[in-house]
Amino acid sequence: MTKLYEPSLPKLMEAIATEASGMRGMDRRNFLKGGIAAVAGLSSVQMIPKANASANLPPNLPEWQSYLGRGVVAKPYGDPSEFEDLQRRTVPWLTADAASSISMTPLQDLEGIITPSGVVFERYHGGIPNVNPDQHRLIIHGLVERPLVLTMEDLKRFPTVSEIRFIECPANGGMEWRGAQMEALQFTHGMLSCCEWTGVRLSTLLEEVGVKPEGKWILAEGADAAGMSRSIPLEKALDDTIIAWGQNGEALRPEQGYPLRMLNPGWEGNTSVKWLRRLEIGDQPWHHREETSKYTDLMPDGRARRFTYEQECNSVVTSPCPENPLQKRGFVEVRGYAWSGRGKIKAVDLSFDGGVNWQRAELDDLVLSKALTQFRFKTQWNGEPWLLQSRAIDETGYVQPTLKQLRDERGGWSIYHKNSIHTWNVTESGDVFNVQIS
Amino acid sequence: MFKSLNLGIAAIALAMSGAVSAGPLGIGSTATAEMIAGWDIDIRPDGTGLPPGEGSVADGEGLYEAQCASCHGLFGEGAGRWPVLAGGEGTLDTLHPEKTVGSYWPYASTLWDYIHRAMPYPAPQSLTDDEVYAISAYVLYLNDIVDEDFVATKESFAQVKMPNEPNFYIDNRPDVQNTRCMKDCADPSQFEIVTTINGVTPTGHFKEDSGVSANHYGGDEPKAATVEVAMSDAAIAGKAVYDKACQACHNMGVAGAPKVGDVSAWAARIATGMESMNSNAINGYQGDNGVMPAKGGNMSLSDDEVKNAVAYMVESSR
Repeated sequence: MTKLYEPSLPKLMEAIATEASGMRGMDRRNFLKGGIAAVAGLSSVQMIPKANASANLPPNLPEWQSYLGRGVVAKPYGDPSEFEDLQRRTVPWLTADAASSISMTPLQDLEGIITPSGVVFERYHGGIPNVNPDQHRLIIHGLVERPLVLTMEDLKRFPTVSEIRFIECPANGGMEWRGAQMEALQFTHGMLSCCEWTGVRLSTLLEEVGVKPEGKWILAEGADAAGMSRSIPLEKALDDTIIAWGQNGEALRPEQGYPLRMLNPGWEGNTSVKWLRRLEIGDQPWHHREETSKYTDLMPDGRARRFTYEQECNSVVTSPCPENPLQKRGFVEVRGYAWSGRGKIKAVDLSFDGGVNWQRAELDDLVLSKALTQFRFKTQWNGEPWLLQSRAIDETGYVQPTLKQLRDERGGWSIYHKNSIHTWNVTESGDVFNVQIS
Repeated sequence: MFKSLNLGIAAIALAMSGAVSAGPLGIGSTATAEMIAGWDIDIRPDGTGLPPGEGSVADGEGLYEAQCASCHGLFGEGAGRWPVLAGGEGTLDTLHPEKTVGSYWPYASTLWDYIHRAMPYPAPQSLTDDEVYAISAYVLYLNDIVDEDFVATKESFAQVKMPNEPNFYIDNRPDVQNTRCMKDCADPSQFEIVTTINGVTPTGHFKEDSGVSANHYGGDEPKAATVEVAMSDAAIAGKAVYDKACQACHNMGVAGAPKVGDVSAWAARIATGMESMNSNAINGYQGDNGVMPAKGGNMSLSDDEVKNAVAYMVESSR
């Protein structure tokens, strides 16, 4: 099998995923091992040189400077450059059907803390409904003084807020509970995005309907084919829940709940019900499918935790990572993200020796509560192997745990809420592998 | 001008007379009882929300086999990667926990609620209340939670106790406490470093929506059709129906469904003629290898829509 690949790692990963999707279990794993080895040894993959690549380099006049470029409004809604390849990706054999599945954000390619709307990770339980906003309604009823039906126009009359908050699937990293598995940051941590969200505080809407004293819980329900529903305690609703219609400066994308979604900052993503059509106030939780059968955490004794809402403090190095190997010796800025569902990130430490010794990284100026926080660390790399780890501490003092600590407490079947310190093995060649230290 | 001002004052007075029922900002309209009744579909463990109606285990058997078995298996064992519904008792504290309705779900109400709101997968909220009672009763029966003579009603259903209910407890995190050690925090000689390439990569925990091990995933995907095929108008019209109602099974070959593009699987069926295939698709069919639910479980489809979808699948699989 001789194949010539363009030197695009994302495309290569995609090709591997596509081929693997058609294989049986053991074949698939063996194939992935081989394919991943090929990715890891990317420098050995035969590359196709671009024609006349040097014609645009100094001292020559670049071709694109020799004639007029495109004028205004040639693209009224612009696209990324054709030379970019920013894409959501999925692990095709993860779920039974694309309408009830998940895709991941390419964290390895992002700059800064805002995730572009087009690559925010997707999670659907019954596909994306095509909701006409003029015919969409939000009903708020139950234990309230004044049950209301609200149009999108009504909602936009309320006092608004805009906040930068991350959203993360509690299954982020879930494929790594039992062992290192995914040779890609996008697949180990990509069920995570961070956007600016605009809408009205749920507390404002609750004042408008008047919650009766016995009202303690809120059922949020979507207008999708799964009728996605979750029970939310009133305290959260009164704290910081947003009913949002805006995302990164424009209307929500259909994938993110257009025209209206709930956003529970810092909580597991599925509680932020999309295509929101109904809020019912009740005196107890509903125990629906997505808070009993799913999104509960099985412990080693066979018992299970429920209402595990908070996404605990977490971090990961995004450069280097398997998709971003070290290309040159010498100066390196190690970069990554930290985040906590309990508030702001206080500090991030880095270890290059698998957690024996740690050094404090720098945080960017923009440190927001329940938002991605960028960290950086300037160092030198001269071909020595690294066991590279990041460890975040949030403002509550919680220190991101080791994998061993999590497994000792929770066993290997929790699926959800794996926020342990992650290890990248940077090899002498600069290639980066996903490893686990126990 | 005075006239219009008076009208304005009248409008304000009118609004204020209704102020008893308006919120602080006076935004929005009253949600009427009729509006709420149409959308208020949720069921709680205490039975709140259950509508009148009834369905027996016996009623449920036929409905389950026609509407559910193609994905969930005749005995709730699950087809392909679709969720397992039955079995798994005693496995939750083992290395291979099987989380099913019987082994894991804490409340029977969740079953009624979810079947009603989201099943059958391609046609949510298409079942009658009696059908939901019957199918719920049958799934409980498959899990040995009710007897074969059980009849589910508003009253009897709310009485069903699920065996695993006592084993759920409220989140008690943070459950682990790491410390911010900076120097000599671990002994590198004790490191066991597990890689994805040389190590074991267990896959049983991969899928979030299925109770089965990823080792069961097997099955060859159909080879993607790379040849452009000229299609009839019926087949072209049928593509949208296929995407909506048929692909969940016919794309992957769930429950013996012939996969679109699998020429050999379709040849024998095509040989029986379009009339026979259309009839089976419209009325349902019990084959040697599996079940074709009537209209793929989507009874809102017209006969012609189903025929178009059959034409699309046939013409894509020759």
